[in-house]
Amino acid sequence: MTPLHFSYLSAFIVSIMGLSLHRTYLISTLLCLESMMLSMFIALSMWPIQLQTSSFMLTPMLMLSFSACEAGTGLSLLVASSRTHGSDHLQNLNLLQC
Amino acid sequence: MNPHASMIITLSLIMGPLITISSNHWILAWTGLEISTLAITPLIAKQHHPRAIEATIKYFLTQATASTLILSSSIINAWTLGQWDITQMSNNTSCAILTTALAIKLGLAPFHFWLPEVLQGTSTTTALILTTWQKLAPLSLLVMTTQSLNTPLLLLLGLMSTLVGGWGGLNQPQLRKIMAFSSIAHLGWMITIITFSPKLMLLTFYTYITMTTAMFLMIKLLETNKISMMMTSWTKLPTLNTIMILILMSLAGLPPLTGFMPKWLILQELTKQHMFIIATMMALLSLLSLFFYLRISYCATITLPPNSTNYLQQWRHKTNQKPYLAPMATLSITLLPITPTLLTLL
Repeated sequence: MTPLHFSYLSAFIVSIMGLSLHRTYLISTLLCLESMMLSMFIALSMWPIQLQTSSFMLTPMLMLSFSACEAGTGLSLLVASSRTHGSDHLQNLNLLQC
Repeated sequence: MNPHASMIITLSLIMGPLITISSNHWILAWTGLEISTLAITPLIAKQHHPRAIEATIKYFLTQATASTLILSSSIINAWTLGQWDITQMSNNTSCAILTTALAIKLGLAPFHFWLPEVLQGTSTTTALILTTWQKLAPLSLLVMTTQSLNTPLLLLLGLMSTLVGGWGGLNQPQLRKIMAFSSIAHLGWMITIITFSPKLMLLTFYTYITMTTAMFLMIKLLETNKISMMMTSWTKLPTLNTIMILILMSLAGLPPLTGFMPKWLILQELTKQHMFIIATMMALLSLLSLFFYLRISYCATITLPPNSTNYLQQWRHKTNQKPYLAPMATLSITLLPITPTLLTLL
């Protein structure tokens, strides 16, 4: 395992641990999602550089645009939850568990 | 909703799973999954009440996490093997991550907690889309990678889903949550059989789509969302009430109806593979599901006259008859005699 792979994998694992274990605010969850996406952006841009396949150079941009869409959706959900629930605490989302 | 927005949402809702099904490259498959997730999100959040927003947040977080996991598994696979083909996913680590991610996306047993709550927070039509059309893309990915998947892991997921799907619905008064647990149980049957016979899994999926669609359309037409509201449903449409009981028994998998066909064939295939214990456990666990289907049927029938109902009559709206309810109900009741034809068609 090269240092690049190790750094990508550790960044991804740390951010998914943050997503699944640190469950206080919605904004921190969204930040963890975004950091997962960014670590994957690094991995996707490393792949064509290492293998020198120029046809794959555009895929990180495609992935980044989709992750931007996801971040936008997440932030709009943040606004919606602060309008309906009054805050972005994830503990407030307990209306549906009956 | 704004007609332009609803047109774009509908188009991308149709396009997303189709892109995933027809793709051969992991990036394109991931793109389709993302498109379908982003398209269904505004549909869930359309009614601006707190429950809808909560359901949207839960749905969005689980689906986004699962899709990032899928992409990371394909990246790990590409690093070791140097290619992005979906059908050649032969790295063990990435296969395990992929199976977990698809289980999160589908709502299989250890990762099922979002499904009943999301269905409870949405309208009936959106719940129908979530339980049928949105399952298509992850299941097609599972079918495409079926040679390299880990069979014991899938068997464990399938057994746990059948157990949880039966167990969770037992004490549940809300109809949409019951349908969510029934969906989990059916997915458990599909996941159990997928490595032995993908064709059989597709057949199970098609019959599941037919029966679930018929049941959700029925719930929408009768405007019932609790079991106790079923007690007055016979006053609205008595014939439909009778057919609904047949559809419920078909979902439970009783012999003369369609739902028996996939269960029969799956049990036969498992026995052929000498997995008697798992076949017995699946057959016994489906009894749990039968219990709550029977409870709905009981509440729908037992209060016919001369007994009095102990639930208030609902306000009667003008009901639009759904033209596609009739073929769906017919298919979900009467398909068992043409089982050989269906098997040769697949």
